[in-house]
Order: sequence, then structure tokens, then C-alpha cells
Amino acid sequence: MLSLFFLPSTRESASGRIYRRAPWLLALSVLALYGVLGRQLFLLSTLGTVFLYIALTQAWNILGGYGGYLNFGMVTFFGVGAYTSAVLFQYWEISPFLTAPFAGITSAALALLIGIPTLRIRGAYFALITLIITFAVQILVLDMPFTQGALGIYLQPLSLTPLGVERLFYYLFLACAALVTLLVYAIEHSNFGWALVAIREDEDAAEIIGIRTVEVKWIANCLAGFVAGVVGGLYAQRILYIEPTGTFAFDISLNVVLMAVIGGAGTWQGPLIGAPLVLLVADALRVTFTSEVNRAIFSVIVILIALFIPGGIMGLWTRWGRGRAEKAAAGGTQGARADEQSVQ
Amino acid sequence: MNMSRTTSTLRIQEIVAGYTPGHPVLRGVNLVAKPGHITVVLGPNGAGKSTLLRSIAGFLRPSSGSIVLGETEISALPPHRHIERGIALLPQGRSTFPELTVTENIELGGWTMRSDRKRLRRAVEAMFERYSHLRELRNKPTGALSGGQQRAVEIARLIVSDPTVLLIDEPSVGLSPIVASQVYRELQALKAEGRAILLVDQDVRAAINVADYVYVLNSGRNDIEGDSSAFHGDLGAMVRRWLGV
Amino acid sequence: MLEHLAAIAADGILLGLIYAIAGLGLSLVLGIMGIVNVAHSAFIMLGSFFAFELFERLGIDPIISFFLALPVFFVLGTVVYRMLLTRLERVAQAQGLVAMFGLMVLIENLGTIVWTTDTRVITASYTNSSVVVGGLFIAKVKLIAGILALALTAIFWAFLRFTLVGRAIRAMSQNRDAAMSAGIDVRRLSTMMFGLGIACAGAAGVALAMIFPFSPNTQVQWLAWAFLVVILGGLGNVANTLVAGLIVGLLQTLCAAFLPFDYVYLVLYVLLAAVLVLRREGLTLAVRRAI
Repeated sequence: MLSLFFLPSTRESASGRIYRRAPWLLALSVLALYGVLGRQLFLLSTLGTVFLYIALTQAWNILGGYGGYLNFGMVTFFGVGAYTSAVLFQYWEISPFLTAPFAGITSAALALLIGIPTLRIRGAYFALITLIITFAVQILVLDMPFTQGALGIYLQPLSLTPLGVERLFYYLFLACAALVTLLVYAIEHSNFGWALVAIREDEDAAEIIGIRTVEVKWIANCLAGFVAGVVGGLYAQRILYIEPTGTFAFDISLNVVLMAVIGGAGTWQGPLIGAPLVLLVADALRVTFTSEVNRAIFSVIVILIALFIPGGIMGLWTRWGRGRAEKAAAGGTQGARADEQSVQ
Repeated sequence: MNMSRTTSTLRIQEIVAGYTPGHPVLRGVNLVAKPGHITVVLGPNGAGKSTLLRSIAGFLRPSSGSIVLGETEISALPPHRHIERGIALLPQGRSTFPELTVTENIELGGWTMRSDRKRLRRAVEAMFERYSHLRELRNKPTGALSGGQQRAVEIARLIVSDPTVLLIDEPSVGLSPIVASQVYRELQALKAEGRAILLVDQDVRAAINVADYVYVLNSGRNDIEGDSSAFHGDLGAMVRRWLGV
Repeated sequence: MLEHLAAIAADGILLGLIYAIAGLGLSLVLGIMGIVNVAHSAFIMLGSFFAFELFERLGIDPIISFFLALPVFFVLGTVVYRMLLTRLERVAQAQGLVAMFGLMVLIENLGTIVWTTDTRVITASYTNSSVVVGGLFIAKVKLIAGILALALTAIFWAFLRFTLVGRAIRAMSQNRDAAMSAGIDVRRLSTMMFGLGIACAGAAGVALAMIFPFSPNTQVQWLAWAFLVVILGGLGNVANTLVAGLIVGLLQTLCAAFLPFDYVYLVLYVLLAAVLVLRREGLTLAVRRAI
């Protein structure tokens, strides 16, 4: 049933398409402009974090939202990316800006490594493994000699003013978020995206119609790994000091799932809604509650959404839109049904 | 064992049922299955035969229409409550519990008698008397049996609680002709005991041979019906019509 | 040397028995009901704190808590099933998984709110004593926990094999439709089965708490161990789960004896991956309908 959402709406005219895209492009321009005009460090930094999460959540969305294979350990890819850049800096003093793509590749390789055993089988094994592998990777990082264990790694601060630094990362993460969103948008409207949705809806049927389901899942997972790795690499340069506990914090995995599920997994708009919303609510809650209470509240929200509002906010929106359309068309269809009855 | 069987007629009136809302598979089917009769439902693929049985057995709740056994409306009952009313379903395909032994399989057919273990044990023993070739297999897992033996276990499991209405879905699929004919002979024996049998079958000829009354469904509706004798002649024409030739 | 090896083996076997019950609940719920209970280890953690609270507040010995945990966690499991899972039957697989994930996070954080992230231990009167069996020194607490675990495994095995209800539960997993038409109330038995799975997790938590330190936010490690036992032993089979538990236990003690501590995890994950690759057919079949 869900797949109905993904059937392309009737072909739109060019003007209609522009009309649909205009709000998003407008929002992007306003945000781009704010990067130049904004002077508040806090706001720039918070928005930077929102963009970072949008990029991560979109990356999660590819396999998790469209393909239905949930990654409960997104932080693994992120953390491995961060450590790749940090280690490369530590030993060869290469700037993370240069090594970020390499961080992405490392994470993608890890994604492949995890995917090979887990994505060949159906069901929730992938989700379980991603959940418990975070734990293992964190322990490895703590024990490997070249990661300096719990001591962590310091990176070279950039020779910029604080405002300059915030602006730089504001734009970097904005660019990441925009590019990954574009990628996900393209995937949603491509054969690859269709294949993923087919896998989510009915993997047997997907195989029968010739989709190479395992390969599709592998690619989707590697894409997620690559994006998270790049973002992780940049993040290392942003916070300048990384150590195992914070870099592999389960909270990051959790946030990504929250944002995707609340916003609406399997739509390109979902993470754009979910990421700011979750961070905003989390910040508001943080004033009055401890982070445990905070997470407990969010987990209840997620359970409720999973049980009662599949599709999150985007799902509600689409249903509301369809409801309106159906009401408008109701008169006509009833007539048609009556005809059908009388014929038979 | 058929001392106090209350025999009642199963009446299906105008039932509408399907898997997706707005697209019913059954679009108003009427049917009567009388005790001591084999009532056969035929029809081309997709006519709704299996859906009909699943609706009667409670797996699919009809969106409208009624299913009445004797005097009682049963269309809202969940599947597991049907056996208490004497309605038993033999699902399509293999349906034994392959890792359980023959005895355990048959025992579970008498699940509703479980509060009275003695009665249950007697009923299972009666099955071994009735199908004596199962006795020596009693401790084997049914997954290790031949197709015909498994079918015998299924039938024993079906009738161990002595149901009055049997819903049989494609009983001969995958069986050798000899075993299949034994199955049809068994159905006639069960009918002779006064049970109402509603048989859905692809094997048109075999079904008509054992039938008392035949319904033909098409596109989820009643098409034609009549005493089985009326169907002996123009079988070929009917089947050709289904194929659209 | 030989004696040393024998001590390691004894240790591994006792630990393995406990891992077996940690995996048993997960295996039964997955194999029989097709539900991947991501929150399994969260219930194990609750079991540990159940024993902790009873011990600290009322001075109740963990051995008694082990048996008390069974009914308490059974009821907890049935309540969770009624609240969440009956609803889950109607939503897509991914949604169900998200909900279970949410449940795990909820339990873990409620645990942190109540007990903080401090690491706890239970020090019973016999915690630091050992017994000599056939010339081997064996920690008394491990012996006790191992025997309790073995007893529980035996009870589950006998229940599923020799009782009509147990057979009905197995029948339900082998052919749902046929079980329903035989009059078996699948929903009621599923509730019961899930309750039993959680009861097992709770008891495993008590047994683990007798031996290992625990805290609310390290529960996921038990998910890793339990999951390894499950995929090694296959789904829904008590005897195989026991064997798998023993293998994992032996492996752990052997690795710990000959390798630096944390490489145990590396070995564990390599094994996990290898088993997933080798056993994939068997694992796929059972999770067709799955959450």
C-alpha cells in the first residue's frame, strides 16, 4: 500500500514543477544568505549542527527509509570517518578538508564489510548487527595503538576568527546537506530508488522482477557510509578533539533514527523536517530535563509514531493531501461506480 | 463417534470480502452446504474459491453479507473459534506441523478438547483405528512422511474433534492419482457420516464425480449452479469458457 | 597446563550455560514468532537490577530472585506484547523494528534515570568463595548461576516438547493457518510465548548480575552475546541454543586466556559475520513474516 506514495503524480508542466520546488529553493537561498549576514555564533553553530544531521539522516534514509533496512548504528560510519581524518592528520598532518573524501571511502568500505554478511539475508539481522557493531568498533578504537585510545586525538585549529570558523562550517555542512538531499531526491526518482522501495514492500517480488536486491542494498549502504564518513571527517576538524566515547556516542545513531522516523522515512523531505524539529525540541527539553528524560520522551514519541503514524510528519501531510483530493473527486467516482454496478 | 452430532446447514448470503479495501474478491456470493452432502465450488483461477473458504473459516472477515450455521451468524468469529462450532478447514497445500509427530499433529486437531485429556486421548486413538496405517508411523515427525501419508494425518487432524462442516481446499493437489482417489473416497465416507462438506477444487472432473451439488463462481459472483448430474455432460464446454476459448 | 585448561573449560561451560539462557528468549521469540526483539538485552538489564534491588533493599538472595524474576518478567512481557506487539502485527516490518528500537531506548533511559549509569555488582555471601570439584577450583557463584541456567533451559525444553500447550506453540510457528483452524488461539499463545521470552531474559539478567558488573547503558553488549548464541544455534530450538551457548562460553574463556582482553570482541564479531554468511538460508526462512 505504501508504495502508492511513490507512484509519480501525473506529469506536471514545467511551471508546476517550479512552483513545487520554489519554497525549497527559497529556503536554501535564505539560509545561504544568512551565512553571510548572520553574526550570532550560537545560531550559526546550531544551524551547522542541523545541516550535519540533515546530511546524516538523508544518508540513513537511502537504505533505511526507501529500502526498509534500518541502520541502528549510523554513528559507526560517522565515527570511523572522523577517526580516519584525525589519524591521517596525526601522522601525516594532512588537513581533514583534503582527507574527508578518503574518510568517506573508509566508511564506505566498512559499510561494505558489514553489508556483505548481513544484507544477503532478509529481515532484521542488519539492524541488529549495526546496533551491536558500534560497541565493538568503539572498543577497538579504544585499544588500537594508532588511535591513542581514550586519550583521543587533537587537531590543528584553523587560523580564522571564531566567526570565520562558524561560517566556514555553516557553509560546508549546508553544502553537504543540500548535496545529499539532492542525491536522495535523484534516487527517489530513479530506478535505483524504485528498486529500494520494491525491496521494502516485497523483496520476493522485487527479486522476481529482476532486481538484484543484494547489490542494491549494498550500494545503498555504501552510499550511506560514504556520506557519514565525509561528514565525520569534517566534524573532526570542527571540534578539533576526538575521543572514542564522544565520537561513537550512541546518541548520534539515535538522533538519526528519530529524525528520519519523525520527519518521515522514505521521503526526501522527511529529514529536512525531522532534523531541525528534533534538535529544536531536544534543546527546549534540555532546559528542564536531563538528557535521559529527554531520550525517554523521544523514544515514546518514536514508538507512537511507528505504531500509529507510519510515515511520520510527511506521511500525515501526504494523507491529508490525498484526503482533500479524494473529497474533491468523490462526486465523480460515485457516479462511475454506479455505472459499473448496473453494467454487471 | 457420530452419536450426537447436531447437523446444521451452512448458508452463505451475499458475502463480499477481499484483501484490499475497495477491491473485493468476492462480490456477493450465495451458497448452501447441507449435511450429508458434498457441495462443490468450481470456477476459473481468481474466481474467489479459496477466498470463499477463507472467509467462511474466519481468516477473512466479510465486509458485508452473512454466514449462518444452523441459526447462528458466524461471520464475525475469529478463525480459532470455528472449530468449537463444528467447522473445520483443510487449507490448501501441505498443512501438517512437520516437526511434530503424527500423534502430536492429530492431538492438536483436538485442541478444543484439551480440558478433558481422556476424551482427547480416546479421540486420537479412534483416528488410529480409522486410519490404521498411521499407527505404525505415530512417533515419526510428519515432515518425514510421504505426501499421501501427510494428507491422511491432515484429514485425521481435521476430524478428530468430530466437526460437522468440513471446508476442503484443493485436496488432491500434489498427490498421485491413486492417493487422490483415496482422498475423494474418504470425503464420501465423511459425507455418509452426515457431515456437510464444502469442497473447492481445480480438478473439475474428480470433484463433480463426488459432488451432490455444484456451484460455479466467476469473478467473485455466482455463475451457474445445479445438481452434479447436470454437469456431467457439458464439462468440456464449461472449462473452455473459463479459458476464454 | 592441563589443569589450567580444564579450569578454563569449566569456566567456559558455566558461562556458556548462562549465555544460553540469555540467547534462549531471543531465539524463541524470533524463531517461533518471527519477532526480532531488539529490546531483549534491555530486559536482561532490568533483570539484573531486579536482583540488585531485591538484594540491596530486602536482602533477598539472587538465587531466589532468579525464580521470582520468571513470573514478574512473564507478566511484564505479556503487558508489553499487548500494548505494542498486537498493534505491530498490522504495520510494516520496518515500523515494528523502529518501535522495538524505541522500546530499547526507553527502557535503557528509564533505567539510567532510576539507577544512573554507575556500574553495580551484587556481592552475595558466596560471591568470592570457590568449591573444589575434581581437583579444580570453581567459583561458587558461577557454579550456582550455571546450574540455575541449566535448570531453566531444561524446563523450557520439556515445556515445548512434552506439554500440549508447548506443542501448540511449536505448531503455531510451523503452520499458522493450520494451527488457527485447529482452534488454537494464536494471539493468546503468542502473548504467552513473548512473556516466556521476556521471563527468560529477566532470569538471564539475574544470573549475569551474579557474575558480571552491570549498568543500564552497557546492556547492548548482552544483545551481542545473545544474538551470537541465536545465530549459532539457529532459531527456536532449545537444545541447539544450549549447545551454541556452551560454544560461545568456551570460546570466550579460551580467548580471554590466550589473547588480550578486548580481542575477544574481535573474535566474537568475526565469528558472527562468518556464521551469518554460512547459515543464511536457515535464518531467512524463519523471518519471512517477521518484525
